[in-house]
Amino acid sequence: MIDPEMNKLVDTLLQGDHTGALAEAKRLRAAGVAPERIVTEGMEAAMSRLDDKCTVESFNLLEIMLVGRAVSAVANELYPEGVPLEQGRATFVIATLEGDVHDLGKNITRMVLIGKGYRVVDLGKDCPVENLVNAVQREQADAVLVSGLITPVIAQVRKVKPALAERGLGGIKVVAGGAALKQSSAEALNVDYVAETAFDGAHYLDRLVRGEI
Amino acid sequence: MNSLERIKAAIVLDAVDRTPAVPQLFGHAATLAGVALVDYLRDGGLLARCQIEALKHYGHDVVFAFMDLSVETEAVGSILLYRENQYPDVASYVLTPGCDLSALIVPDPARAGRMPELLRAAGILRREMGDTALVAGCLAGPMTLTTQLLGIETALYLAADDPGRFEKILDFAAELAIRYGTAQIAAGAHLPIIFDPAASPAVVPPQFFRELLLPRLKRVFVAFRQAGALANWLNIAGPTEAILPYYPEAGVDIANFDYYVAPDSAQQLLPHTCLDGNIKSLSFVDAAPEEIGAAASLLVTAFAGRGGFLLSSGCEIPPEAKPENIAAMVAACRGG
Repeated sequence: MIDPEMNKLVDTLLQGDHTGALAEAKRLRAAGVAPERIVTEGMEAAMSRLDDKCTVESFNLLEIMLVGRAVSAVANELYPEGVPLEQGRATFVIATLEGDVHDLGKNITRMVLIGKGYRVVDLGKDCPVENLVNAVQREQADAVLVSGLITPVIAQVRKVKPALAERGLGGIKVVAGGAALKQSSAEALNVDYVAETAFDGAHYLDRLVRGEI
Repeated sequence: MNSLERIKAAIVLDAVDRTPAVPQLFGHAATLAGVALVDYLRDGGLLARCQIEALKHYGHDVVFAFMDLSVETEAVGSILLYRENQYPDVASYVLTPGCDLSALIVPDPARAGRMPELLRAAGILRREMGDTALVAGCLAGPMTLTTQLLGIETALYLAADDPGRFEKILDFAAELAIRYGTAQIAAGAHLPIIFDPAASPAVVPPQFFRELLLPRLKRVFVAFRQAGALANWLNIAGPTEAILPYYPEAGVDIANFDYYVAPDSAQQLLPHTCLDGNIKSLSFVDAAPEEIGAAASLLVTAFAGRGGFLLSSGCEIPPEAKPENIAAMVAACRGG
């Protein structure tokens, strides 16, 4: 059940109405509602409903992008400097690796994770593996996500776990996704999980955060 | 039967002497010939030579006058970033959401960007092949070209925020496709294949396809038929089950289906349409030839009763694919 106070925010988020969602978030803040509550009862509730709707057979970028844009607008309003580390939420580092400049899949995954209340450090596209490992160390990340649309990037993906292990970060889970990578297996890519969709990847991370993996 | 006769028979679901093999070999032809992809993509003569060599090597049934899905946006004015052995990416998109659309002019395929080289490739291929093998031209569909003119995120947000403006760009893309495709037919291509990956239900909902893309695709295919195309071929990758039933209305004669769609399902959804698919494209890179051969044989068997099938990959076979995997796919058509 969604708290009636959050109904309008959840509705505007699900409609992909980013200006309406932002206005509603501002109204809630002005009424004294804490940012944490807006995240958990507003953003997370909306993402959960979208998640239920987006099965593997019925998952399209347009709808998710619109909801994601609205969620990001609200998150930026609540935390202009990003979700602070001390909030205790899990941190994930996400990137499209060197040699691939297609970052739509990464951007969508980032929005889904933000919508679920996670702290996401986005390293952008064409990102060297070394930068990724540096960010994991610096941000005390709980997991790494890499996205790839084209097959030449596979060689880079395979380097991520060994590079993490070299820094003593071998326990950090690596999740891969994107049109090229999801045709492969976790074993072939040398990662811990291959996500079919952004939500599939988020479910894996939910289980990781709950200590089930 | 020669290759073209075989494909023509398959298109109308007639009997064939063997299943036609139409592996989606584009940049792989350059890799096979030891040519840098960046040169292959800019030189129509070189492209044609590599395609013919690949055909001789594998013995399949089609040659492709296809560079990449950035040819059109470059011709309109986008700036591309070329790399030695990768397809180019758009470094700077020609359109912005607020730009003046009245200044947009459909480029002349005889002069703009790499289009003349592509037409040259189509002409050489047709002269060399005559009517022995299918000479397929290729172009970006209206939705994909729109995303290539604006950037995909910008294009999708524009579709939601300013549908009227988005449709104007979509109409421009359809006009460009008509002009470029008919030029390919005039240059010698038997048909132009429309590649429209951004029209996939993975990107936009089926309702979006039905309301915005179907009418434009229909318009483009009508123009191609009037220009003398042998058939209308639509290639949309991904989970297309929800949009396949609309293909006959669009005028599609050959429908690609990707690995997401089961062969039985594709046949049920399009009982009277020739289908091509659907081996997973990455498997040509990382699987063993025996696995490809087995997957190909299953497909050939799945369509044995109905006919109307071109054995292919679900999407492009990556340039770095193992040649023995492609050979295994072609061999399956010969019962090998």
